[in-house]
Amino acid sequence: MALSPALRQSYPVWPALLAAIVCAAPFVAVAALAVSGEWTGYLTHLWSTRLPGYLIVTLQVTAISGALAAVTGACLAWLVARYEFAGRGVFEWLLAVPLAVPAYAAAYGWYDLTQAAGPLGFLPTVRGPAGAGLVLGLTLYPYVYLLAREAFSGQSSDAYEAARTLGARPGEAFVRAALPLARPAIAAGLALVVMETLADFGAVAHLGAPTLTVGLIRAWAGEGATAEAARLALMLVAFAFLIFALERSQRARARQTNASGRRKPARRVALSPLAGLGAAALCLTPVLLGMVIPLARLGYRALSAPVTRDLVSAAQNAVLLAAIAGVLAAGLGLAAAYALRTGTRHGAFAARAAGLGYAVPGAVAALGVLAILGALQGGLDALWTGLFGGVFPVMLTGGIAALIFAYLSRFAAAAIGPAESALSRVTPTLDAAARTLGANGRETAWRVHRPLIARGALLAALLVFVEVLKELPATMILRPFNFDTLAVIAHNYASDERLGEAALPALLIVLAALPAMIWIARRIVRAEGAT
Amino acid sequence: MILDDRVLDVRGATVRYAPGRPAVDGADLRLTCGRVTALLGPSGSGKSSLLRAIAGLEKLDGGEIRFENRIWSGPGRHLAPEQRRCGVVFQDYALFPHLSALDNTAFGLRGGQRAERRARALARLEAMELGARAHAFPHQLSGGEQQRVALARALAPDPDVMLLDEPFSGLDRRLRGDLRETTARALRDSDAATLLVTHDAEEALALADTIALMSQGRIIQTGAPDAVYLRPASLTAARLLGEVEAFEARVTGAAASTPLGEAPASGFEEGARVCVLARPEAIRIRRADAEGALAQIAARRPGSGQQRLVCTLEDGRAVSVRTALTAPHRPGDAVRLSLDPDNIHVIPAEAG
Repeated sequence: MALSPALRQSYPVWPALLAAIVCAAPFVAVAALAVSGEWTGYLTHLWSTRLPGYLIVTLQVTAISGALAAVTGACLAWLVARYEFAGRGVFEWLLAVPLAVPAYAAAYGWYDLTQAAGPLGFLPTVRGPAGAGLVLGLTLYPYVYLLAREAFSGQSSDAYEAARTLGARPGEAFVRAALPLARPAIAAGLALVVMETLADFGAVAHLGAPTLTVGLIRAWAGEGATAEAARLALMLVAFAFLIFALERSQRARARQTNASGRRKPARRVALSPLAGLGAAALCLTPVLLGMVIPLARLGYRALSAPVTRDLVSAAQNAVLLAAIAGVLAAGLGLAAAYALRTGTRHGAFAARAAGLGYAVPGAVAALGVLAILGALQGGLDALWTGLFGGVFPVMLTGGIAALIFAYLSRFAAAAIGPAESALSRVTPTLDAAARTLGANGRETAWRVHRPLIARGALLAALLVFVEVLKELPATMILRPFNFDTLAVIAHNYASDERLGEAALPALLIVLAALPAMIWIARRIVRAEGAT
Repeated sequence: MILDDRVLDVRGATVRYAPGRPAVDGADLRLTCGRVTALLGPSGSGKSSLLRAIAGLEKLDGGEIRFENRIWSGPGRHLAPEQRRCGVVFQDYALFPHLSALDNTAFGLRGGQRAERRARALARLEAMELGARAHAFPHQLSGGEQQRVALARALAPDPDVMLLDEPFSGLDRRLRGDLRETTARALRDSDAATLLVTHDAEEALALADTIALMSQGRIIQTGAPDAVYLRPASLTAARLLGEVEAFEARVTGAAASTPLGEAPASGFEEGARVCVLARPEAIRIRRADAEGALAQIAARRPGSGQQRLVCTLEDGRAVSVRTALTAPHRPGDAVRLSLDPDNIHVIPAEAG
């Protein structure tokens, strides 16, 4: 809902423009880098060597993780939204909690369990594209679950009841009425899963499934070929944008179907004790497979590993970075949400442009930040040399600021949604009421908006906090010299096959992310119950 | 015009949301302090837009709004809503969900100690019989209570102008009657110039000192409730306030001839085309042996205390008549209909 022009002037649009620039600039830089220089010859070379492999593996991993996440997320969402059974209230939020587990942590755990010498060595070893797809699907399904659950407990549940009264049996009503109405939500969740899968580096690298992201990092790290990496990055982004566009086209339909607006929580069907036990077991399965079992293995391995001093400082670094990025991202998210609310065309455009950032994988964002800061550094060095002689005294690319820039570029978009839904609580008539009661724009923001959006802003900040804690590829590329985070340490040990030392930092990430994730999950679930 | 009157004057106000016909199209309106004006019109007629323009929530695209010779809105001028001293009761009440009833009411109070402001807010709530609910949050209040808190909150800063946008529309019928009384009392106690926007004719007639009728963005008639009801300026105006029978006729010998008999039309030229308007209660119904046009009762719709009879004339035309519920009429009865000459109104045909 947009604000009337008479009330609009009090809220500036420039913060949203800033958000759009922060989110879009790295991608634009990567694109510029990629198309510079000799491009067609390189492509043919790449095509004849590694590219087909990267593409095939990427497709395999994405298909498996997407299918697994969509089926798991949608089915469990239906179970939890539609049926009443022992433990449902807990599973409702617990099913979202595996998001606190970075995919690479689950990958370390599962690989260690199922390798030939491991305790589950009788199972096929979790590795290769199939293994990576499974692990990613098990850790990312909550995206589908959360969005599908919301859809199922709302309108699509009314449609289900209508279908039942028209003579459809439960299964038929689910397929013909409930599922089609929830499809946009499932598609949105699936799009997030696919984008996260495309962006993942730690899990696919560890399990030996070289996707485009792995190729990109190899090109950058192994061969120092930034332009080549940028070209792979562009391909990766094209992939992600395709998913993004598909999801948007689904969402256009969602807007139509939501037109009637009225929402009441549907009464759930009570299951018999035995069926309830089955439902609880189903709900427990992904939590065990995606979180408990691999983490237990890591815990076991960590028992025998020493706690080193670099681990402590890495933990501090990780939490600090994630907290800074979370707060800043919440600010950018709010800026975009305000721009959407203001309803001016360029404000809305800026906000949507910022939202695209999520489709840009972390490695790509990092590469873009490198390109931007590198160019800036070049300019400044030249200027400095001309004025004072010598190079510019500050290394732009080697600082924490560069890292934060990349995090924001990728994750600020994740803060827009929560900020938007928080701001939607502040209806335009609340503004109108405050203004007619004598409060000016600033006072209205302080006395009415701030208390109403505070929790939503915290949710946005915590979401980004969790994401940044888990983030690996951008951190690897941009971290300052001698500056480690938990994710980097875990990855370095894991790639040296020193899983004992890798286990502790991976567990610490989950430990830091878990309270935030539980709060987020419970809050999302409760907020929907209230409407 | 008494010069001492404190008035809000709206002249030629125009509000345009998109190219095409404006939502408010040159509306003229005058609100006097201490009096209640009801703005009545169908949905989409621009009532709420005009209210929002007066509150400063919409900018004018033409015309002006001034209060006591101070321009609030006009060409190149727009006084911010917070500087207008306008109290508004919104259709959805717009109570601040994070504040208690008391804090909502105290929101617009300025100056003095906090304790003093809260005491003033509490007094307002008590006047609305809400003292006991002062610490409840909006979601804990019933619809009627929310409406009263919204009213108390709008009145608390002693506004110069009070604007109520369909304040009873979300409430059930019985509650509406009670609240109407409470609201009327509260508005009468304040000295504000009040505008009540509604699409409910009964509400407008019951609450207002003056009624302004709005249609397609314009004010088409303003006047005292019974004057507007009985002597509408046009057929559109007549229909806004309730059911009406309209008979087209030509004036001959200072009278217009209708199927129900002659209507006096002294102000019109000989041969002029006119429209004779009769409310259902201005049509007399008598037994078949009396004088008047012969008709048959086709249907009977009982209401509270009254009944509506649909009668079919010999030419097949249906006419609505309202009588006391106790009158002994039954469907199928043959009756005679005639006009009550004191309560019918003749307008030029083109005004219809």
